[in-house]
Amino acid sequence: MTDTLSRTFSALADPTRRAILARLSAGEATVNELAGPLPISLPAVSRHLKVLEEAGLITRGRTRQWRPCRLEAKPLEDVADWVATYRRFWDDGFDRLEEHLRRLTGDV
Amino acid sequence: MSDLTITRVFDAPRDLVFAAWTDPDQLASWLGPHGYTGSAVTLATRPGGAWRACIRSPEGDEHWMHGVYREVAAPERLVFTFAWDTEGDLRTETLVTIDFADLDGKTEMTFVQTGFPTAADRDGHDEGWTSCFDDLTGFIRRKDAR
Repeated sequence: MTDTLSRTFSALADPTRRAILARLSAGEATVNELAGPLPISLPAVSRHLKVLEEAGLITRGRTRQWRPCRLEAKPLEDVADWVATYRRFWDDGFDRLEEHLRRLTGDV
Repeated sequence: MSDLTITRVFDAPRDLVFAAWTDPDQLASWLGPHGYTGSAVTLATRPGGAWRACIRSPEGDEHWMHGVYREVAAPERLVFTFAWDTEGDLRTETLVTIDFADLDGKTEMTFVQTGFPTAADRDGHDEGWTSCFDDLTGFIRRKDAR
């Protein structure tokens, strides 16, 4: 669970990538369209897109020359659902804490 | 704001349960989901003291977390901040408050985690990130509506 979240967080931690996601939330766009308002080179934009794609935050079309980028909602929903994520994290840990305490009190 | 509250009763006295949180070796032995191992923990268990821990997934991925103790009152209460290292500038530091109540030799542990980011918090903190996140939240809602 934390694996996916960490990947999403790392991808979101960069302001340029957040700007790209914000643009994509308005609809699909090509690399050129995305690069337009950004003060960085096309290859740099491509590298950011690769990180976003690996995190599952965007998908890219198959058409060769115009591979439109599209925002994917699922990882963002996971990030938004903090409480559920942490509940799983701690509940699991507390099961293990219970086992740990049982071993300590010799009640196994 | 939504908080997370988990209450558990452990068949062990309070000092034992408290020590399981404050002793580095013990914390490392249970922290994290099933299958994970705590690979390193440093705990300066006093108000203002820092803590840092790492859990390692079965695949070998390491996830570091850290925070600062706010209240250390053995064996009744432990309060500390919590954040993942990887969350970077997402400002997602939360506050964990744990109360340990004695139930005739057993321990009722009440774990409360507060301070999860809300729209209002984000508005107050970082305009750039807020506007971006609002866009994304709207996007998720539109997806849900379909």
